[in-house]
Amino acid sequence: MLKLDFIPHNEKIIEEMLKTIGVNTIDDLFQDIPDDIKIKKLNLSSGLSEPDLLRYLKNLSLQNKEYSYSFLGAGCYYHYIPSIVDFIISRPEFYSSYTPYQAEASQGYLQAIYEYQTIISRVTQMDIANASMYDGSTALAEAAIMATIITGKNKVILLEGIHPEYIEVVKTYCWGQEIDHQIIKENQLKNEITEDIAAVLFQSPNFFGDIEKIEDTVRIIREKSQKCLIIQVMTDPTCLGILKPPGELDIDIYVAEGQAFGISPSFGGPGLGIFTAKQKYLRKMPGRLIGKTKELYGEKTGFILTLQAREQHIRREKASSNICTNQALCSLTALIYLLSLGKTGLKEISAQNFQKAHYLKNELIKISGYEILNKKPTYNEFMLKCPNIEALINECKKKELLPPLKLSKYYPELDDVALVCVTECNSKKSIEKFIDAAKNAVKNY
Amino acid sequence: MTSNELLIFEKGNGKANKNFIPKMDIEGIDIDEIIPPIYQRAQLSIPDTPEIEIVRHYINLSQKNYGVDNGIYPLGSCTMKYNPKVNEITARLSGFSQIHPLQEENQGAMEVIYETSKMLEEITGMEGFTLQPAAGAHGELTGLLIMKKYFKSKKVKKSKIIVPDSAHGTNPASAKMAGFSIIELQSDKNGEVPLDQLEYAMKEKDVAGIMLTNPNTLGVFDRQIKEITRIVHKNGGLCYYDGANLNPMLGICRPKDMGFDIVHLNLHKTFSTPHGGGGPGSGPVGVVNDLIPFLPKPCIIKTSEGIICKSNNEKSIGRIKAFWGNFGVIIRAYTYILALGSEGLEQVGQISVLNANYLRVLLQKKYDLPYNRICQHEFVLSDKGLPNEVITEDIAKRILDYGIYAPTIYFPLIVNGALMIEPTETESKNSLDNFVDIMYKIYEEAHDDPELVKKAPYNTSIGRLDAVLAARKPILHD
Repeated sequence: MLKLDFIPHNEKIIEEMLKTIGVNTIDDLFQDIPDDIKIKKLNLSSGLSEPDLLRYLKNLSLQNKEYSYSFLGAGCYYHYIPSIVDFIISRPEFYSSYTPYQAEASQGYLQAIYEYQTIISRVTQMDIANASMYDGSTALAEAAIMATIITGKNKVILLEGIHPEYIEVVKTYCWGQEIDHQIIKENQLKNEITEDIAAVLFQSPNFFGDIEKIEDTVRIIREKSQKCLIIQVMTDPTCLGILKPPGELDIDIYVAEGQAFGISPSFGGPGLGIFTAKQKYLRKMPGRLIGKTKELYGEKTGFILTLQAREQHIRREKASSNICTNQALCSLTALIYLLSLGKTGLKEISAQNFQKAHYLKNELIKISGYEILNKKPTYNEFMLKCPNIEALINECKKKELLPPLKLSKYYPELDDVALVCVTECNSKKSIEKFIDAAKNAVKNY
Repeated sequence: MTSNELLIFEKGNGKANKNFIPKMDIEGIDIDEIIPPIYQRAQLSIPDTPEIEIVRHYINLSQKNYGVDNGIYPLGSCTMKYNPKVNEITARLSGFSQIHPLQEENQGAMEVIYETSKMLEEITGMEGFTLQPAAGAHGELTGLLIMKKYFKSKKVKKSKIIVPDSAHGTNPASAKMAGFSIIELQSDKNGEVPLDQLEYAMKEKDVAGIMLTNPNTLGVFDRQIKEITRIVHKNGGLCYYDGANLNPMLGICRPKDMGFDIVHLNLHKTFSTPHGGGGPGSGPVGVVNDLIPFLPKPCIIKTSEGIICKSNNEKSIGRIKAFWGNFGVIIRAYTYILALGSEGLEQVGQISVLNANYLRVLLQKKYDLPYNRICQHEFVLSDKGLPNEVITEDIAKRILDYGIYAPTIYFPLIVNGALMIEPTETESKNSLDNFVDIMYKIYEEAHDDPELVKKAPYNTSIGRLDAVLAARKPILHD
């Protein structure tokens, strides 16, 4: 008996089709497959009806705790997502389409991604943005590889303060291509930069929340090497509503995790790899690019996948990257998010992140036993040294607050330090609850 | 709609949407005191656009875009099947979509990842899985790094990998990213791997193994598959299965039983998650027992305390992506597998092959079919012998005029002027018949009025575009 879920045929139609093909049974179509590797049956459960499926998955989802407010960031952020974002990306013409190979039947999406490239290059002030990479971590790794291709040098330097999981990803990619890497402190830069370095990778605002004086970093590197590329990464680019963009700071390649631009946290994926560079590196750039062009037999302007000669399906092993499927729908998400906010909104939420996090910092240092470890300006995250970090975590949970990150997860030596994140979504009331939690964590333990 | 749509940047009127910003309830903090002006940007040139203008702009653009919800999408090797709507509902359950990757109370999500891995193991026969890779090519890179690490742990140098000329372009590109050089193997006249040449290539120094897709890009199942994997193993190599073409094999036979050691899958192809116009995808990688220690971090295991990360995996290749992979995509695939169950999945394989062969038999009446035999999920036509020098691109563009999407064109490279057609199991007979009618009609047009076909399309929102101009003077943003 055929089950035929999501299959539109009935038994009679299958018979007709087999007759047209000229075989008796469906099994005849698998005659090329040796009998000894054919299987009888998959050992999986029977299919579920939609109501049963929804009940099961709803229950499963309830095993993950959802909090009213979050103080956790560390690479994945809770920002408010306007309702129109999900409404637009749920249009099936967008989400059920493939990579727009047939441009004339895909103008809608191609134009949208062109608009994404435009808005990203405006927000970052970088010359060019591609159509997306998988996420911030892989975008950073690909940027490092791109720098080795451009410079012909085989070593990259990473500054401490890059998201620890991103560092691990860069290491894995470098190992694949036998690229050397070194992780150093900022004050070692002067001594470590030589003509043999392909790139310096740094994060600002960094993993610990510090906003770097990028002009100084850039100057030090440029003084030591003319060839070395400077690569900046960010995990929450909403700060660009206020902060100076990489394009004004002589950054060669700027990458970011774009999840903060309207993509739900979803346990950390899918996100969006934002990838931008100076114009002169265009032909070494990985990933898809959408360009503007004209009709062959008319005058209308349209959009098309371009410079595909860089890509794997044309150049095969000579391509600058193997990336094919990227994160198109997430680019669309970021585009709609940024348009919904506009410049007024992006500045405003950027300011709120600064102000609300700053407010909490100021209140916390008034409580005896707590210390803010950041010596530089911070955006929406900061390091909080706690008298009793476990107590703070428990108190947060009691108040329905998603607790901050225990930095010891990545840095065992920082066993009493929390990485606290405050965004525009944190009301004053929620911040006060956190302050109470911090006080209780001293008092009650 | 045939008029050009203005860019969104030309539509704003400077009216900001303040309603998307929470009311600021903390007063009196001067931004310049927190972050000195030297750190601040001078201007930001993105428009303020009223909500209704944004909605209308993108609804209009969506109407100039074609998805599988509009009609048949016969792109070969892309498996453009219907995306069940229930997947969209489950992925948006707030207990999945609103949770943080670093939060402690995560057992629902961990179970999704763990159970999906287990089901993919059963479907492929493999013994361990990672769901970390974000797409097929990312899975290939991961699989090849596993291969590299495996040989490194054995202290044998292996620097080359065999890739047949019928392979997806990502295969050689991924091999290069993993630090391998490529030995290209020419397919034989049946589109299969020639065993003698394989033997010969495996005798070269330092060969790590082979990357293969089976059925291959001609839609042909390599009948010698067990012999191929045996030869590679005999010479100390490993066999990598490119799972882009797994769909017709669901419930029929498994990569492990064919002799493969590593496999990547494309959840956005075989397991019905929407392709999204080019992602997000998900490219899980499965391996045999011996290779499990090399899987990327984090590896998860089930213990009495729940599903947790394994800590002592020093042989792992390391991380290939932050956090847990494209979880939102994984949940959709999990939903799909649960909905279909074992019988449902088996029928996916069967009907995808039925549909492809039905089209093959009808289309070869008019079009050249260079590899003329029973196919699996897809088959490849060529433009050889078309009237009046009409070529593949013309056919593809003319297809768009009839309100449907075109096949994959000019791939695989081993067929000149290839038209690669994969209908998938979710197309009805009516839909397939309609596609055949259109292809017949275009053949007649090529005969009677070739100019019509050569300058197509006409009924799309824009005429045929100048790809050369786009590449010569790249304009990538406004």
